[in-house]
Amino acid sequence: MKASIAQYYPGDSIVHRLDARAKFVAVATLAVALFVRDSFAGLAVFASAGVVAYGLSGVPVAWFWRAFRPLLWLIGLTFLTQLLFAPGEPFFSWWIFDFSWEGLQFAAFLSLRLLVLVLIGSVLTLTTAPLALTDGLAWLGRPLRRLRVPTDELALMVTIALRFIPTLLVELDQIMRAQRARGAEFGSGGPIRRAKALVPVLTPLFVLSFRRADELALAMEARCYQPGIVRTRLHPLRAGMPDAVLLAVTAAIVVAGLLV
Amino acid sequence: MSAASSDGRAVSSRSAPGIAAGMSVRCDGIGFSYAEAHTPIPALRSVTFELAAGRSLALLGPSGSGKSTLLQVIKGLDTPEAGTVALDGLRPDAPGYDAARREVGLVFQTPELQLFATSAREDVAFGPRRLGRPEEEVQAAVEEAMELVGLPPEVFGGRHPYALSGGEQRRLALAGVLAMRPRLLLLDEPFVSLDPATRRELVRILVRLRSGGVTLVLATHDVDLAWALCDDLLVLDGGRVVASGPWDAGEAGRALRAAGRLREPFLVELWRRLGRDAAAAPPRTAAEAAEALR
Repeated sequence: MKASIAQYYPGDSIVHRLDARAKFVAVATLAVALFVRDSFAGLAVFASAGVVAYGLSGVPVAWFWRAFRPLLWLIGLTFLTQLLFAPGEPFFSWWIFDFSWEGLQFAAFLSLRLLVLVLIGSVLTLTTAPLALTDGLAWLGRPLRRLRVPTDELALMVTIALRFIPTLLVELDQIMRAQRARGAEFGSGGPIRRAKALVPVLTPLFVLSFRRADELALAMEARCYQPGIVRTRLHPLRAGMPDAVLLAVTAAIVVAGLLV
Repeated sequence: MSAASSDGRAVSSRSAPGIAAGMSVRCDGIGFSYAEAHTPIPALRSVTFELAAGRSLALLGPSGSGKSTLLQVIKGLDTPEAGTVALDGLRPDAPGYDAARREVGLVFQTPELQLFATSAREDVAFGPRRLGRPEEEVQAAVEEAMELVGLPPEVFGGRHPYALSGGEQRRLALAGVLAMRPRLLLLDEPFVSLDPATRRELVRILVRLRSGGVTLVLATHDVDLAWALCDDLLVLDGGRVVASGPWDAGEAGRALRAAGRLREPFLVELWRRLGRDAAAAPPRTAAEAAEALR
């Protein structure tokens, strides 16, 4: 079984080398601007920024497509609901549905906006290792520590969760094989039968996960893990000139996108 | 069915309660690789061997040599890229092959991690129920399998699987496979992390199954236990067959030493160092050795 939940594509492009924090700030700013501005012209500006960034990342289209494909459903669904339920002068009616030009336009706009958002967000997740992203988010969340939000501990939790997903997938595969060897069948029959077929899989998986969590906690304690103290990092985050340039360019794009 | 195994132990054809008569297996040029990103990792390369019904086979080889993969291919969980697995003389395209495959039992490594039901009895019943057997037959199979592994159903039947000790869990998981009345039983590292008492108990169970006529394949690193239990030998290294055939003469010992990271059984080495005739089969157990040396 292939463990590919993270879309990260290892590489050494200019986009890969940018600091995770700078990339996150840039993407978040662009996302907000994207939702503030509601014209096709603004959309075009942000879309071209996304395309250029994606082009610089050197991520193969096939890889991007694999991560993107599941989202097509969501975008398609958005288009359909907006098309059917947006108010406007209908030019065509069928059963309980009215189709209007306004609805069509609105639906196209919303779907395109979603598409651009996914593109920009993907550039971040495709070029930033999950661990770097977590570290970056923890750094950005530091001010929250004044409000007693345990940001470092939260970041550690996310890191551990990410680390164990491939492990759990391997274990899941083993358990499913073992139950298949005992005659279990997955993916056949109605939804209730399918859900019932998962009990022999999920029970051992949960038991294993709890046992593993217990052992991990013990191992961390044995290695003197203490929550709430300052710790150094193996790979400290380093921001430099390219990151400053990224933020400046982002600001320029936002201004351009909002003004056109 | 072979009349007698190499060391003269009779292989009986009568069926003990709950034990089905054995099935032969024949692998012809099996090739298999794991698809990993862009470069497939070959796990088995033209593996060929034959095991007669009712015989027991020791499947030896260093870690990563393809033992587990071979067992999964024989059970049909993985489809080989090349070659065929014939069961009971039936090739995969023969009618009745699927039925034969359902009579292959596979006990995974640390099978106790796969228990899921709320009672021991229910867990053992899972397999036979999936085979679509009538309920009375299922219950009979459960009782026999639990008796066979030394977990009497009247004592253990209602217990929660996770309330059992590690050794009891391992035996319960074995019962879950035995309740399906396998005619060919594949065991992947069954002795790992068992205490000596549980290990003895498991050996006792395997001896009973073997004398009941079940064909056994035992993948293990415990070469001494394998020597005590198995008639035939198959050594894998890097997915290739290094040695195969009846496990009796000194030839097998040499093959084991040649396969790197492996050793010959203690009693075989002792016999060799004592300068005993290699053709005269070395003893299988300490008791046999004592008898011969007295």
